Amino acid sequence: MAIIEIEQLEFTYPEGLKPILQEIDLQIEKGEFVVLCGTSGCGKSTLLKHLKRELTPHGQKSGSIRFNGIELEQLSQREAASEIGFVLQNPENQIVTDKVWHELSFGLENLGLDTMSIRRRVAEMASFFGIQNWFRKNTTDLSGGQKQLLNLASIMVMQPKVLILDEPTSQLDPIAASEFIATLSKLNKELGLTIILVEHRLEEVYPLADRVIIMDNGKIISNGTPVEAAVNLRQLDAEHPMLLGLPTPIRVHHYFKLDQQVPLTIRDGSQWLSHHFKEDSKAILPTVASTNEVVLSVKDLWFRYNKTDEDVVRGLEFELEKGDFLTILGGNGTGKSTTLQLISGLMTPHRGKVTVFGKTLKNYKNSDLYNGVIAMLPQDPTTLLVEKTVQLEFSTLTSDQTLIDSIVHLLQIEHLLAQHPYDLSGGEQQKVALGKVLLKQPRLLILDEPTKGLDAQSKQILASILTQLREKGTTILMVTHDVEFSAEHASKCAMFFDGQIVSIDSPREFYCGNHFYTTAANRMCRHLFNDVITTNQLIERCAVQKREVVI
Amino acid sequence: MKSLHQYHPIVIFFYFFVVIGLTMFYMHPVLLGISFLGAVLLSLFIQRKKFLSSLKWLLPFMFIAAIINPLITHNGEIILLYVNYQPITLEAIVYGFSMSVMLLSVVFWFGSFNEIMTSDKFLYLFGRISPAVALLISLTMRLIPLFFLQIKKITNAQRTIGMDPTTGSLWHRIKSAATIISILISWALENAIETADSMKARGYGLKNRSTFSLFKFDRADGIVTTVITCLFFVALISSYFGWNYFAYYPTFSTIELNMTTWIVFISYFALIMLPIVIELLEVLKWRSLKLNN
Repeated sequence: MAIIEIEQLEFTYPEGLKPILQEIDLQIEKGEFVVLCGTSGCGKSTLLKHLKRELTPHGQKSGSIRFNGIELEQLSQREAASEIGFVLQNPENQIVTDKVWHELSFGLENLGLDTMSIRRRVAEMASFFGIQNWFRKNTTDLSGGQKQLLNLASIMVMQPKVLILDEPTSQLDPIAASEFIATLSKLNKELGLTIILVEHRLEEVYPLADRVIIMDNGKIISNGTPVEAAVNLRQLDAEHPMLLGLPTPIRVHHYFKLDQQVPLTIRDGSQWLSHHFKEDSKAILPTVASTNEVVLSVKDLWFRYNKTDEDVVRGLEFELEKGDFLTILGGNGTGKSTTLQLISGLMTPHRGKVTVFGKTLKNYKNSDLYNGVIAMLPQDPTTLLVEKTVQLEFSTLTSDQTLIDSIVHLLQIEHLLAQHPYDLSGGEQQKVALGKVLLKQPRLLILDEPTKGLDAQSKQILASILTQLREKGTTILMVTHDVEFSAEHASKCAMFFDGQIVSIDSPREFYCGNHFYTTAANRMCRHLFNDVITTNQLIERCAVQKREVVI
Repeated sequence: MKSLHQYHPIVIFFYFFVVIGLTMFYMHPVLLGISFLGAVLLSLFIQRKKFLSSLKWLLPFMFIAAIINPLITHNGEIILLYVNYQPITLEAIVYGFSMSVMLLSVVFWFGSFNEIMTSDKFLYLFGRISPAVALLISLTMRLIPLFFLQIKKITNAQRTIGMDPTTGSLWHRIKSAATIISILISWALENAIETADSMKARGYGLKNRSTFSLFKFDRADGIVTTVITCLFFVALISSYFGWNYFAYYPTFSTIELNMTTWIVFISYFALIMLPIVIELLEVLKWRSLKLNN
């Protein structure tokens, strides 16, 4: 029997003109791992929230949702709370209490369990998730990955039958995200837990799923195995924006349409490539044009937060030339974000110097530095948003209307001007924040993980904005975990480790030289080609290297 | 047995409540001496560094307190000298000295209490009184560091677009600070919705909520509580019958050594030395464990 049955669900938000969910018919079997995907605003999050009664939004609703054969509304409060677990997107906001152990026991306290049972269940879950080492810590001292694992664990102690997750890894770095997904897979395989997951980073989740459901405009447009979903989507619309979000092996397969065996993993993908394409070890390495105008030079930079602490940045040195787009990659806690703050003058190093446009940071007055020289887009765009409408956000900063118009045009946010910044999606908020920063007309733009939480389409838009800025002579420095974005759009890539940059190169040399820290396309085809790092490059090379005999 | 800070918060609270209370009421020189000795020994055991550095200003304070009393109080029969035709008596000097010993003991006991009674234990005690208050405190303790972090993020972000509350004209500073606060409030409200969702999703608001804590009242806690209660009881009885009475004015009463006073002294000594004995046993235990392994 299906654990969740949805029949003819339709939902309209109050004051909404058209329904956000239409004709949803869906059955989810016990023990299934279901991935739900779609572009931003397609209604996938709204659908998820309908499965958790406590979170169901207000609005006009028709149709029925049954859990284990019982209408969701008729479930007792206790069952509704404990049997359907829900993990939200932001790891920070879900944590309620100050101690890890208290967070784990919070749900069980609500259910009114006695101390002995709580002790036992908490112990069990803490061991399963490997939390015992930080069991007594403060929740504020945890890393993002640990926080999200804690959120998952504190749902799992309630022993839910269904686990629902709304983009749980979008705020995590790739390594923490992999760990999180691996834990989900373990829960599914070892406990037989039913999992419904909304994700837009599909590379890892896709092969794990039993079923992939694709939504568009409030409707389910495809519902089947991962392979079926991939094939369906292409047949429905060859230009569908969701296609960009599919894992690399599928995208390459889709392009060539050689057979019906769709490769889902890197391993399958590379076998499939060997089968259809010839090896070519000749490397095409374009030389990077040097403009020789040094914009930013960092010399022997050392920094620590307190006199007695260890150094976070140790002897950092690098240079940026005009028009460069440098992406800095590296694990969490290696000092990347600190470096950005040192370069933008928000913190002062205890040794070394930063020179921007031939002048050391010390010699700039703050008002000059942040007016036309350096600007920094923070990770959280809401830290810049304060007014009632987007229009006001811009007009309070400058009275130069032509400047505002040109930036609004560049960002293509004309349609958002009258809206409240908090009503926008994450990607839109980021564009508005970027707009505010650009009003200062910086010649050096610093970005802190701007692709975090963006879907494939929003990333494309961001990339095109950055490209246009570079054409106008803006130099860009970006810290990111997004290997694919960096490979596709940067002019230089750097690896940050142990407080310094350990290697800096053009993207091709950088990623072809890396073994693990590289793009999916590169990992998939490195046995055939030694200079391919993006999916498009792979498709180009494959087109030339096709084997004559097609099997 | 276990080390002092591993005892149940209720036991710790009870012990310090009894000891600090008795120390404050007893002016008997022997009892004062015992309490002072205990306070010093315990401080040396559990917070040696802090204790030694605090002596720098505590000792002078003690002497000043001892000197001031005879200057304002002229009671007493043993007159040592006259200052401005006012008698300075031995009784007043000794009383002032005893008073400052008492105050110092209390300060030292409180120091040790702070060291052992960490914030989570303290909150747990509050929680026993009201679970709702306890949860509220837990939520607040979570939010405070989060707020400070967010203020820092917002300030940094605003600085880079020229809204720096630390530079510029007064009007500019006020405007920048107001902007930061306004963003913080929006952020807090926006995020509170999600936190509330997370609480609701985990069944907050159901009836019969229970309270969980990591503290367990075990046998050792029971034994120590019984010992403290018995000794406290002896102290109360002796106070009731005035066995531990000592007068400084008009002149010192004699300190008799008989059966009852011995009971009073020994039981008080046992009470005061209890944590030190516990700590010593702990040290010995570990030493023998090390030798055996």
